[in-house]
Amino acid sequence: MTTKPRTLRAWALLFLVLLYVGFLILAPIGALLRGAFREGLSAVWESLSATPFLQSLWLSVWIALLVVLVQAVLGSITAWVLIRHDFIGKSLLNSLLDIPFAVSPVVVGYMLLLLFGRNGILSPLLERLEIQVAFAVPGMFLATLFVSLPFMVREMLPVVAQLDRSQEFAAATLGAGSWTRFWKVIFPHIKTALIYGMTLTFARALGEFGAVLVIGGGVQGRTETATLYIFRSLDERQNIDAYVGAVVLGCLSIGIVLLADALKRRSTK
Amino acid sequence: MKNKNKLILTIIALSLILTACSTPDENDSEDQTTLILGAYTTPREAYGEIIPLFQAYWLARTGETVVFEESYLGSGAQSRAVVEGFEADVVALSLEADVNRIQNTGLITHDWKANDTGGIVTTSIVAFAVREGNPLGIADWDDLTRADLEILTPNPNTSGGAMWNILALYGAALRGQVAGVPGDDPEAASNFLREVLSNVSVMDKAARDSILNFEMGIGDLAITYENEILVGRASGQTYERVIPSSTILIENPIAVVDASVDKHGTREVAEAFVAFLFTPEAQEIFAQHGLRIVNEDVAIASVGEYPAVDDLFTVAYFGGWANIMTEIFSESGVYNNAMLNLPGDAQ
Amino acid sequence: MDLTLSQGRRKSGFSTWFLRIPAFLYIGSMILIPVLVILQDGLREGLSGLIHQITLPIARYAIGLTLWTSALMTLINTIMGLATAYVLVRYDFPGKRILNAIIDLPLAIPSLVTGVMLVMLYGPQTALGAFLAEKLSLQIIFASPGIILALLFISFPFVVRTIQPVLQNLDFAQEQAAHTLGAGEWTTFRRVVLPALAPALLNGALLSFSRAIGEFGAVVVVAGNIPFKTQTAAVYVLGAVESDNRLGASAISIVLLAASTVTMLIAHRLQKSWSRSQ
Repeated sequence: MTTKPRTLRAWALLFLVLLYVGFLILAPIGALLRGAFREGLSAVWESLSATPFLQSLWLSVWIALLVVLVQAVLGSITAWVLIRHDFIGKSLLNSLLDIPFAVSPVVVGYMLLLLFGRNGILSPLLERLEIQVAFAVPGMFLATLFVSLPFMVREMLPVVAQLDRSQEFAAATLGAGSWTRFWKVIFPHIKTALIYGMTLTFARALGEFGAVLVIGGGVQGRTETATLYIFRSLDERQNIDAYVGAVVLGCLSIGIVLLADALKRRSTK
Repeated sequence: MKNKNKLILTIIALSLILTACSTPDENDSEDQTTLILGAYTTPREAYGEIIPLFQAYWLARTGETVVFEESYLGSGAQSRAVVEGFEADVVALSLEADVNRIQNTGLITHDWKANDTGGIVTTSIVAFAVREGNPLGIADWDDLTRADLEILTPNPNTSGGAMWNILALYGAALRGQVAGVPGDDPEAASNFLREVLSNVSVMDKAARDSILNFEMGIGDLAITYENEILVGRASGQTYERVIPSSTILIENPIAVVDASVDKHGTREVAEAFVAFLFTPEAQEIFAQHGLRIVNEDVAIASVGEYPAVDDLFTVAYFGGWANIMTEIFSESGVYNNAMLNLPGDAQ
Repeated sequence: MDLTLSQGRRKSGFSTWFLRIPAFLYIGSMILIPVLVILQDGLREGLSGLIHQITLPIARYAIGLTLWTSALMTLINTIMGLATAYVLVRYDFPGKRILNAIIDLPLAIPSLVTGVMLVMLYGPQTALGAFLAEKLSLQIIFASPGIILALLFISFPFVVRTIQPVLQNLDFAQEQAAHTLGAGEWTTFRRVVLPALAPALLNGALLSFSRAIGEFGAVVVVAGNIPFKTQTAAVYVLGAVESDNRLGASAISIVLLAASTVTMLIAHRLQKSWSRSQ
């Protein structure tokens, strides 16, 4: 039940909140936009079309897409197993899920370095297989996968929990196989949550910085994501490049999240 | 609704397939090879110009295209990255000790110091960056202990440049070149170090980060490579360079990393690149980007920009890097002791 | 959101393990193994080695700084998050939809970008920054206010979004009853709404605290890296990694990991007991 603010106090509260949000969130965004466009549109275009930037953006996007794919499948399976199955260690699994959410990204990168670095635990194995994980894209993929893990699973859990099992039983008695049951009965109900989870994961993956810095090294042309490109541009006094990159990354992520919000709203109508 | 969702899913699937098919990294194919350079932060502009020149040179000489992948970090951080698994073909670092670290892990197997210059490709000196017009009238080391002076210097744990700064400071004091500090007195020199360190307001992780902070308005003075100051000025900054009466000669080594070049099959081009850096052409560019150089002919030609220093010393004064690492930068060394006992610190 | 994880009654069969194995492998390899690796590395020199690293003055300061800035930020965030959620749920005003959308922005913006924005707005080279420094002696960039601002930005959605649904679903009848009994809006809020919101508030607060102590991207840009002044635990770990102080890196990482895990566990426990008492 919403009303217009009635008392002076109510108006004051509203005003305070608007002021707070404006100062905390909008002002910095405004400053960024102003900084990006300070030297005019042609400078912005130059930054946008710079090859290293596009390369880094491409790397960020495709790592993020790959992460989304893996999370969609494995995250959903994990949510399913957590709800539908009974086993020892279930609550342990559940608590483990939240760790990536709270762990500092630098710690993530360092953990991977301990595993896959030259002196790492798995390095003899990696040498034999001639795979490079640290300071290469596979390491960055793993780091990004780690940090975005909870988003998908947590998004899927409530939806899986609320599935109406009688429909599945009905389909089973009618002779439908596992796959048909999944695709025709279950999937339509989890579809929205799945897509929402995928978009959240994508946004999170796109913006990952600390972990990929430590495990990837930011080698230009090889392990430089968009975030690392921005970081490097600041170092090179190419401020416009950095700001434009930040704006692009921000817009991309915001766009994805707004899309997710719209999808969510449409499905709950 | 069903069809629209199918469409969305198809788009997602297609884009995933597309991305899986097109890998973003260049594979070595015929007539193309990739060279990975791991350097410290300061010479990035210089390499930015030299690399295209080398690429043209190499193409003309062998018909092969060389693609460069560069990484610029604090010298110590870069050195450790290589040890940790970063497969740089060539390392250009700030100090010999960082190359030695890589050598000690067996990644460098040749004697990289066996050339005319002992493996040193560029030099610089430790100097001060002060605000335009030098409003505080900074002239020499003793000015650094003034109360209320805010100094910037990087963190020696990650930055090679920081180590050079500390050595210059400590060395100048030991040599009796700092007014008010008796020479040949480690105790007095340590005290001087302590006093200056207590004026340090920001200790960033690399030389470049440090000077960028200065440019943002932090601090009154930055101890840094002369090279950083000149590069900054070339890009429009208005701070000024003050050369102290006594300072250390910064010698920057370069080396091919044997393990990497053998694994990548890039030894020939890597060695050619390193050799190229000693040619007058490349050395000119280094000089234009604020580095003093080792090629004598070019050095003479650019002397106007690089005034001589009254009392210039080198790491030899300290007995070499091995001694420096144990006596000054170890956990019980001079630097750590000074940091732990800063005067007037309520830690 | 009552998630009883006890729907399972699956008997073991091939198809069960078809699903379980990927799930176990996934969580096991992605989360359990890295955590174990870091525990093992931090305890390499035994518990005493770990404690030594943690009690180094520079590490102690970093941990302390992280904890107090996160705590202060959580306090502010909880209050303002509550106010924002209240305004969004209870009031009608022009621009309400926009405000609702803005809430989610910090989730979408990469943390590095947050840091860059704050430097652009408050850096010493800006008019605002110079004004604050000179007239109010308030340094934001490269000082703790900057850290707190960055953390506030990043954690803003957590409290708001945790409270909003709860506030929305509150039994309005109770509030109406209070009104008819003559209670003003503030009294109603204090006596009826707040107690009902308490669990969600606490949950949101713990969530944002947990998120804040590990924050890196924004802090590293905004705060710089001044030991004993603006070096948070996460930034300290980066320095330790880059300077080969591996034991220090692992030790502090364990502290951070423990702190966030404990916080999340408390939040879970609270959520469970709250949903049980419903």
